[in-house]
Amino acid sequence: MTEATLPAALRVEPLVQGDVTLAGLDDHIRGWTERKPPRAWYVAITITSLTALMGFAAIGYMLYEGIGIIGNSVPVVWGFLIINFVFWVGIGHAGTLISVILYLFRQRWRNAISRIAEATTVFAFVCAMMFPAIHVGRPWFPYWLVPYPNQRGMWVDFRSPLIWDVFAVLTYFTVSLLFWYLGLVPDFATLRATAKSRTRRAVYRLLSWGWVGNARQWVHYEKGYLLLAGMTTVLALSVHSIVSMDFAVSQLPGWHMTIFPPYFVVGAAFSGFAGVVLVFAFVRTVMQLENYVTMRHMDLLNRMVLFLACVMTYAYLMEGFTAWYSADPFVKYIFANYVFGDQWWAGTLTIFLNCVLPQLLWFPKFRRSVPVMVTVSAGVTVGMWMERYTIVILSLHRGYLPSSWGMYLPTRYDFMILFGSIGLFLTLLLLFLRKLPVIAAWEVKPDIVFYQKQSAEAGHA
Amino acid sequence: MPESVFGVVGLFDSADALMAAIPEVRARGFRNLHAYTPYPVHGMDEALDLPKSKLGVLVFLIGSIACVAAFTFEWWTSTRAYPLMTGGKPYNGWPGWVLVMVESTILFSTLTTGIGMLFAFNKLPYFGNPMLGSEAIASVTRDRFALMAASDRGALDVAGATEALRAVGAAALEVVYEPDHARPGVGWWVRTATTIVAASAVAGFGTWWAIRAYPTIKPMVNMEVQPRLDAQRPDAFFANGRGMQRPPDGTVPRASVPILDTVPDDAGKSLMNPLPVTAAVLARGRAQFNLHCAVCHDRLGTGHPWLDSTYQAFPVDLQTGPIRAAADGYLYWVISQGIRTMPGYAADISPDDRWAVVRYIRALQRSQDAPARDLK
Repeated sequence: MTEATLPAALRVEPLVQGDVTLAGLDDHIRGWTERKPPRAWYVAITITSLTALMGFAAIGYMLYEGIGIIGNSVPVVWGFLIINFVFWVGIGHAGTLISVILYLFRQRWRNAISRIAEATTVFAFVCAMMFPAIHVGRPWFPYWLVPYPNQRGMWVDFRSPLIWDVFAVLTYFTVSLLFWYLGLVPDFATLRATAKSRTRRAVYRLLSWGWVGNARQWVHYEKGYLLLAGMTTVLALSVHSIVSMDFAVSQLPGWHMTIFPPYFVVGAAFSGFAGVVLVFAFVRTVMQLENYVTMRHMDLLNRMVLFLACVMTYAYLMEGFTAWYSADPFVKYIFANYVFGDQWWAGTLTIFLNCVLPQLLWFPKFRRSVPVMVTVSAGVTVGMWMERYTIVILSLHRGYLPSSWGMYLPTRYDFMILFGSIGLFLTLLLLFLRKLPVIAAWEVKPDIVFYQKQSAEAGHA
Repeated sequence: MPESVFGVVGLFDSADALMAAIPEVRARGFRNLHAYTPYPVHGMDEALDLPKSKLGVLVFLIGSIACVAAFTFEWWTSTRAYPLMTGGKPYNGWPGWVLVMVESTILFSTLTTGIGMLFAFNKLPYFGNPMLGSEAIASVTRDRFALMAASDRGALDVAGATEALRAVGAAALEVVYEPDHARPGVGWWVRTATTIVAASAVAGFGTWWAIRAYPTIKPMVNMEVQPRLDAQRPDAFFANGRGMQRPPDGTVPRASVPILDTVPDDAGKSLMNPLPVTAAVLARGRAQFNLHCAVCHDRLGTGHPWLDSTYQAFPVDLQTGPIRAAADGYLYWVISQGIRTMPGYAADISPDDRWAVVRYIRALQRSQDAPARDLK
């Protein structure tokens, strides 16, 4: 029985819709790289780049004046900068999960969204990597993090989670960038042949290395893509686990827990998917990608958000259970402090935005409603940031030694740096949307061919 | 211009049509077939009898080397080059090394995959590919599917190939020629040289400027520059412009007894040792003696003769007659004020400790000249 003869309720919604052709997709993608962007783009990039500049100014002032201008102080020695680092690493997980894990599971709906998702990964990591570098006490020595032969005869301590972190984050960034670029090569080859200006053609010619789409090339290409997908899966699961060990290997109540690695990975995927929904909610209409990124894609993405929200809720409950079952008064107190302490709003907001609000997505109508998905995803993005705030700040300010308890208040520079990093991310994203192919055409084209065949069959039936 | 033929290429509208055409063209005796498609078409490798990609073998090899190398490196730094004890764990605590091994393995495997796929297996960059100059290239990276009967070691029946492709329904037939590899002209050399010179100039001036500009920036000076008074430094805080102020007149340091005598012999007459001879006093004296005095006078007070040649210092042998005969006050004065090349120790040893040292010197002297009754 073919798809067309099935009753409507059983039919799988196609991955593309409307009047789509292979050439039409190429022209659409190329059009955005060559056309003068709409006025809204200029307005947006002005705002985001000015925000980024503000952040860099704050960082510059911090480097000049010293780390004392931000809110970090004993006992809360990890403040906004570490929260932002963990947050951006989390956002950066969507790209790999969508591109890689869904690829291994042969989920074809990932094809249309993989390119932008990978771009968010790369840009999120640019933002993330900035933070440990400026957070070190002497930011002109960040290269001390890397093991290299030096006159001091010293080497890094390989048993420290902080050095695992350096390896994990640098590897993840390199691999995401490589993965993103390799995906772009065939699309650069397409643009090379059709781009209007000579300079552009020359640039695309260099970037595609003379790719011609020979079947012999595709054999190696697909093999390489599969290998990368397999290895990057390991990486995607390990990176945030390692980030969590920065916390879990220490002795602090609220940090020293075995649940941390999986809990961080789920959190990362959760915030990443929410970030991707947020990006696509705007991009698909503004860039008229509705035919390629359909409401079905958004529905599936929202289902992922809902699923991860449920896993997240379970993780929170397990954390609470561990605290109660440990019978350790300090650990129990820390968890009570998250929701009933001086900064009760941090823990409460985390639970509301990450566990309660996404439950809206159980309703199919809401999964396909742009205002609802934007609200939920924005909520999750803020909620996941608040979660990291809860973990970093609220654990540190109530340690094992009540005489060392303190309070944390961020300064205006903390906020300037946080918003600056968001500005930097959005600026890079806007530049990418303006100049590079936003859809992995070579991955979506088979879906278009499949859709065309199906439509033809339906027409004959 | 004699041009050699690279191949004859024909276009199809769908991947299915291309796949169907391959066996027919092959049946006509054209073995060296190439397919060009805008996306990977599954089944194409079997249709064209393409060998499986060996990329996995290379990646496994490099990945394994990276894994072992990471382990060796961690072992060497942690146990040989820089053994560092942390948390009481053993130096070769390999479980802590595993994550770095995993990350290194993945890093080098993925780099091998990317670079190996593009540059080793696909032999890119290949900007001289004759296909790049063909009419068909714009279509095959877009929405058409091309089949090429390529020349096999320069031999191709062009007319036959064209006929075969036409017979299977290929459109826009085209003969692709090998491009003419002319030597680069003078213009190319001039352009290249100019670019290199310009790039070097920019890099050079940039570096020169950076080196000049960078040391003038002093980040985070608040450790170095603090609002405090420094000894021996001018400071605007006080009216006399000095950072260091004289204490008020008549101030004496705590526990200090001023020595009024100007020569040691006078002190020997006027000063008395206030401390009793007890084990505690002698222990206190020994501690101070070994700390401050023994470095020149030796632990027995006999002096280190080798200091003569090195420092032109002649530490007195405290066991000699004149010193044995000297009064306690004399020794106290010398310890406090110093004599000849010996500096005074008033700043380093408290008055009571100095008196204890004197008691200990007496004990040393007696230990080296003990009468028989002491040994009972």
